[in-house]
Amino acid sequence: MNRWTTALLLLALFSVMVSVSMGREVSFTEALSVLWHHATFGYGAAPDPIADRIVWQLRLPRAVLALIVGGGLGIIGAAMQTLVRNPLAEPYILGISSGATAGASLFYLGFLPPLISKALSMPIAAFAGGLCAILIVYSVAGSRGHLSMTRLLLAGVAVASLMGAIASFITLSSPDPDKLRSVLFWLLGSLHLATWSALIWPAIAVLIGLVVLLVLARPLDGMLTGDESAHSLGVPVESVKRILIVLASLVTGSIVAASGAIGFVGLIVPHAVRSFTGVTHRRVLPASFIAGAIFLLWADLAARALLPGAQLPVGIVTALCGVPFFLILLRQNRHGFG
Amino acid sequence: MRQICLLFLVITGCSASLEGERTIQDDLGRTVEIPHSIERVVPLAPNITELLFASGAGSKVVGVSAYDDFPPEVDSLPQYSVIPMDFEAIVALDPDLVFASEQVNNPKDADTFAAVGIPVYFIAINTLEDLTRAMRDLGELLGTSETAHKRATQLEDSLAQLAVLTANLPEKPDVLFLVETATLYAFGQGSYIHDIIDIAGGHSITKTQSIRFPILTDEFVLASDPDVIVGSFGPGFEKAKLLTHHPAWDILSAIVSDQVFGLDPAILRPSPRLVAGSWELARVLHPEAVTNP
Repeated sequence: MNRWTTALLLLALFSVMVSVSMGREVSFTEALSVLWHHATFGYGAAPDPIADRIVWQLRLPRAVLALIVGGGLGIIGAAMQTLVRNPLAEPYILGISSGATAGASLFYLGFLPPLISKALSMPIAAFAGGLCAILIVYSVAGSRGHLSMTRLLLAGVAVASLMGAIASFITLSSPDPDKLRSVLFWLLGSLHLATWSALIWPAIAVLIGLVVLLVLARPLDGMLTGDESAHSLGVPVESVKRILIVLASLVTGSIVAASGAIGFVGLIVPHAVRSFTGVTHRRVLPASFIAGAIFLLWADLAARALLPGAQLPVGIVTALCGVPFFLILLRQNRHGFG
Repeated sequence: MRQICLLFLVITGCSASLEGERTIQDDLGRTVEIPHSIERVVPLAPNITELLFASGAGSKVVGVSAYDDFPPEVDSLPQYSVIPMDFEAIVALDPDLVFASEQVNNPKDADTFAAVGIPVYFIAINTLEDLTRAMRDLGELLGTSETAHKRATQLEDSLAQLAVLTANLPEKPDVLFLVETATLYAFGQGSYIHDIIDIAGGHSITKTQSIRFPILTDEFVLASDPDVIVGSFGPGFEKAKLLTHHPAWDILSAIVSDQVFGLDPAILRPSPRLVAGSWELARVLHPEAVTNP
């Protein structure tokens, strides 16, 4: 672990502490005492039950979901950028997020039957939607083993619009106004539905994503140099690409099912990280994970703080803070790509 | 030829205003020019339809929105979409005046109607008093003052009767009114909902929220610890449904003491049925003190 990653890890830990202890309803010290109480398995006096629930059942799962979603989007963004060897790639721009949203809203609004259990069906629908979108994009962009970057990005933008339109159509044609209201909020990307039980699937999917990508770190480095030279380095390029596509859909799908489509994290974070760590995936991936997690934690803190008692979808904040930051980075930075 | 056309326009334009228009102000303070006799009206929101019927002008309603379902007479009327606004269908109904709801409709839609010469009158209902005032306004506009006045007075009497029952209750519970179970849509300041909770003998905990339609945080609800949670969920609502979305709420007073109730969804419509809704809520909050209708 290099010093950047260590620094990021410490910052992430600090961010979780801030996220859990900041808020109007429970004071900083009260929040810390709740955490202490749980961390020591009930040592000392029991905290106030309301403070306990606010910190342990609302703020902490929300902070953990922010870690999972931000981290997941960070690594998938990094992997997608390597997959297509283009700095503009991310789940949002390549249509995966929109496809996942369309799949999830089809299920949520009752147009798809529940397959196994309700908790699992929505991530599966989102996964299928995301996979569908990226397969369309990929098959349009590729011909005879060659992937055209221009066509890829154009197809990504087009498919993202198409999937967005499908999601809006489904939403607006829903006969149930209650569900419609919920979907509208969720479509903008929000962490407000975080509960401990809702964390399981996104956590598993993101963990699988992280492990697989770390195993593939060396082939990914090879792919940065181009398909031909990766081949000559002994990288099974086509298989790696297929794994990456399925993995990106799986992780994005579970994330979208839990928190809606949160944009720009996957785009901004890997870029910011590369300017510190360089381009080797062994460093970029863990750093992207932690940096994505930190970014989303702070964005969510802002979303919670802006309207006291009420809330904003965090997707609005990631776009509001993320895009100017990204533009500054673009302007200042000289780091190359691939 | 062109001059003749212009002349024609000028003449017909003049004759229209000679025929007699009057200028009034709607609830948004907009100046609206309306013809003296209004025979065909079109409501752009379900609560406006209910207000028109209650004010005795039901026979002048020539169409309703696709969301309308009350009173039963609306079932036989032509329907049109209002979100998004189906201007063509509404213009085809040839209305003399269109009534819009400040809560539902976009004031910009009025410009489109103005371009085809149809005046739009906006109605805003943010308090229970607005309700009966709007009924009297409508009666005056549409020549049904007598019915409108009579019905409005009946509603006011009913509310006054309820106010007497709840005025001296020893305890006024803290009430949380929700619109949805998973995402916590609620009513912020300046909503008639707080009037209803007030007259039903409760205290609304979202009365001072600065946003009109806030999405509450779970934290806010936990820290406020309401005594009663009500929502437009319909009768027979089970608290278990709230707990599946908000497991942390298990220690709330309202949950522990089983004070979670679903009200008739009509309470979301600022219509004359709000009076019945106020009684329904009062019976829920104070079953001993409030017994009659």
